[in-house]
Amino acid sequence: MDHESRAAVRRLALVLLFGGAASPAFAHTIEGAGGFAAGFAHPLLGPDHLVAMVAVGLWGAFLGPPAIVLLPITFPLVMALGGVIGIAGLPLPATETAIALSAIVLGLMVALAARPPLWLAALTVGAFAIFHGYAHGRELPDDANAVAFAAGFVIATGLLHLTGIAFGLLTRWPAGRIAVRAAGGGIALVGIGYLGGLL
Amino acid sequence: MSAFMRGVADFALPTHLLAVVVLGLLAPQHAARFPILALIELAAGLLAGSLAVVLGVGENPASTALLALAAIGAAAVIAAWPLPAPITGLFAFVVGAALPLNAPPQEITMARAVLAQAGFALAALAAFAIVALIVLSATREWQLVGAWIAASAILVLALRLAR
Repeated sequence: MDHESRAAVRRLALVLLFGGAASPAFAHTIEGAGGFAAGFAHPLLGPDHLVAMVAVGLWGAFLGPPAIVLLPITFPLVMALGGVIGIAGLPLPATETAIALSAIVLGLMVALAARPPLWLAALTVGAFAIFHGYAHGRELPDDANAVAFAAGFVIATGLLHLTGIAFGLLTRWPAGRIAVRAAGGGIALVGIGYLGGLL
Repeated sequence: MSAFMRGVADFALPTHLLAVVVLGLLAPQHAARFPILALIELAAGLLAGSLAVVLGVGENPASTALLALAAIGAAAVIAAWPLPAPITGLFAFVVGAALPLNAPPQEITMARAVLAQAGFALAALAAFAIVALIVLSATREWQLVGAWIAASAILVLALRLAR
């Protein structure tokens, strides 16, 4: 096994590790929770959030440099702005619909191997990040643990992007490319399930 | 737990860690050697902040200032701006000064308070040195970590200002 293959296997192991940790069989809301662990668990416990985060990484890896770095940087920054809107209590209509749509659109981008210009990819990811951030911002605890909570959920979001990137690097091989596009299709289906109220 | 170790534990607050990690990411950017000047400036800031605590500075906005510094520093990390050494030094000094002001020791005697402050300062310097050494030794996309820190700091600042 050459160095590149070993590195790919290590990345895949990371994917499985995070995938296992991110069990979707829980409710999204954490009652009365605060602190880093609660914040970290927050994006992992909402399957619609989770698959969209992974899709951002997958798409970034599919597009290659510089998108592989730019998209996962764009998302948390714009997500923070969405969080500010949520914290300020400003209305943002159809948040849950937009989050489900984000999974559909980003999943389809991967499934269809879409290669738009970099600015358009960043704009698409950023537009959806506002809604994800808004949903998180509405649930930030109003206590001393807010910093730890925010850091926890931002880092979990980032690690989900990295999980998507790690899996997306399989596109170097023909079979891996099929697997990644299939994963994109699966993510889109999860989004359709949420949009249709089936999940 | 000894006063010294309580000081070390006092440093382990998320706000402190965000600010010091950003400084650790920022200082060695585009530098081939360990940023010793930033370390000295951080130590000087810690000393100044500790003296201010001894002089009895009351309630202050150090926590908000640290979050704002973390967000600003993270923005520079994301943009990969090679900040001039004096600016980085000033940033290190201000972070260092704000840290003790955000966590004054709760010890009864002066001797124990000094020990706690020493533990706090050593923890801050060690955290900065560890992050800076990691950044120097590993060429990675540190902008990603900067984005995480900026997002966390922006969210909490918004929460503080809104509620």
